[in-house]
Amino acid sequence: MTAVLSTTGLTRRYQDQLALDDVSIDIEEGSITGLLGRNGAGKSTLMRIVTGQEFASAGTVRVFGESPVEHDAVLRRMVFVREDQVFPDFRVRHAVKAASWFYPRWDEELAQSLLRDFDLPDKRAIKKLSRGMRSALSIVIGLASRAELTLLDEPYAGLDAVARQLFYDRLLADYAEHPRTILVSTHLIDEVADLLEHIVMVDHGRVVLDAPADDVRGRATTVSGPARQVQAFVRHRRVLHERRIGARMAATVADRLDRDDQAQATAMNLKLEPLSLQQLMVATSLDAAGDHPGGNDAQKEDIA
Amino acid sequence: MLDDGTPLFVQIAEQLSDDIADGSLAEGQRVPSTNELAAFHRINPATAAKGINVLMDDGLLEKRRGIGMFVADGARERLLARRRESFAAQYLEPMLHEARRLGLDEDDLITLIRRTGSSAGGGRT
Amino acid sequence: MNTLVKVGRYHLVDRISFLILPLGITLFSFAINLLLFWLVVPEPEGHTGGVMSLFIYMAVIGALSATRSLPFGLTLGVSRRSYYLGTVALAAGLGVAFGLWVVLMQLIERLADGWGIGLHFFRVTLILDGPWYVSWLTSFVFLVLMTAYGLWAGLVFRRWSVLGLVTFIAAQVLVLVAATLVITWLDGWARVGEFFTGLGALGMTGIAAALAVVLLGAGFATIRRVTV
Repeated sequence: MTAVLSTTGLTRRYQDQLALDDVSIDIEEGSITGLLGRNGAGKSTLMRIVTGQEFASAGTVRVFGESPVEHDAVLRRMVFVREDQVFPDFRVRHAVKAASWFYPRWDEELAQSLLRDFDLPDKRAIKKLSRGMRSALSIVIGLASRAELTLLDEPYAGLDAVARQLFYDRLLADYAEHPRTILVSTHLIDEVADLLEHIVMVDHGRVVLDAPADDVRGRATTVSGPARQVQAFVRHRRVLHERRIGARMAATVADRLDRDDQAQATAMNLKLEPLSLQQLMVATSLDAAGDHPGGNDAQKEDIA
Repeated sequence: MLDDGTPLFVQIAEQLSDDIADGSLAEGQRVPSTNELAAFHRINPATAAKGINVLMDDGLLEKRRGIGMFVADGARERLLARRRESFAAQYLEPMLHEARRLGLDEDDLITLIRRTGSSAGGGRT
Repeated sequence: MNTLVKVGRYHLVDRISFLILPLGITLFSFAINLLLFWLVVPEPEGHTGGVMSLFIYMAVIGALSATRSLPFGLTLGVSRRSYYLGTVALAAGLGVAFGLWVVLMQLIERLADGWGIGLHFFRVTLILDGPWYVSWLTSFVFLVLMTAYGLWAGLVFRRWSVLGLVTFIAAQVLVLVAATLVITWLDGWARVGEFFTGLGALGMTGIAAALAVVLLGAGFATIRRVTV
């Protein structure tokens, strides 16, 4: 498998902060990767640098094997759907028409079909569109471009749940028919969790997790029940987080539990709940913020 | 798709296995394609493909080039035999454990099983 | 379709700003001039040079290209270099087309004897006063010059924000004020006037062309590190 996108030691420094800190990742061809992280973690900065809209302070980026900076041949094979896209004084159809000229794999039929799906009026001036409709327009352009590397930066801003599901469905359908490499950044993790093949998680500009989605799912488990049993069960395990109420306790351990563990838990009247991707991210971030009241000290790298 | 920590592709494989085991996917019948499964369950096509591959490796599905994936001959029997083997570990042990908690002994259990079985209209499928 | 052409087409999607308004504003200004002259005929021949409004508007076009149209343009997968060159190519094309239009209007103006009331709107003393091919060249150069200026100003704003733009303008004002003071002090206004008159249309076109090249270079240097 070839790496479509590859960064090495990518760093972006602003006057008083480090937006990206030594980021090195490889995104494989023909996959959907989720770029997860809190607001301000560096997801947008990373994508803007990859698409040449922002410049790195240090490190390298390679897209299709070459630097994308000021490189037309590479740039036209990428599309960037960003949440705060500024449009000129265009109507909806103008933006779609202009986009059709610049993307070699553009599909007009798909564009029109998506415009209908999202209820976007052809003749409406873009500046009169609501935030959600502007997001929808960017999504239409992003999907219809069929670009080999499609980057989506929190593309659902302003979209209601119905529109979001529509977006996921259309994305999946077109991706199945016309495979490409997709990198989608999101903080609504549970909604896209099932779509992702690979996960990259960033926190304060650093990559804290870079693994196949299947490896990550179920990587941590919450053990709950009578406090004494829970403590006995988690005694030699890495505890991320603990909660107590009365005589009961819930401890989150950075462990994938197997059949034997499950049998043991059942025997001890304990309930096991594997963490969803979203819960995992929250737990990882809370842990990183130093918010673990009890249990063993766990480094966030332990989960990676 | 369940959020219980089971990898998605395993869930796909298990669902298809269930369909084969209870006969709703007959032998020689075409199995939904990777894209169809992906669209239906709203998951990544690669994940769906992985699930199908598991069943292919187990010999439960076979690929007919150009047409699609089909339930292999004898798949149902093989599947049922395998499941019978793990029946005790998967179902009986937890049940016995809970029964013990409630203070039911084996005779109590057998009585309960018979009573529940008749009211549920038991019998073999 | 070549990338530069695509950029040109991209700008022209906004037909109003790039095609209709330049001509529209000029014609509107012309209409006002016509009305005023008809009502209040000052002298036998009046050179208003009101056609300048076209040139000023080109600066607006340049600024729009650098500000409003830039973010989406770059998002469409075009390098800054291609975007800039495509925009400049469009400006050159508009310069040729609009310049020709000015020359044609000059011709009509002359044939209509100043529109029947001695108004010289499309003629500017000295600069746009000679043979049609010189007027065309001069128009072209000055149109591109104004666009380049607006483009650079817009890019300065994009890259260094309000503070940058203010500095940009302040620097120019300073230079102009300083030059004015020096010339006044040296009592050289007459000589300055003679110099320009001596140059003639072609000479001034040459200077304008040189200035345009400088501005275009400055704009290019500015856009290289613009982020969206």
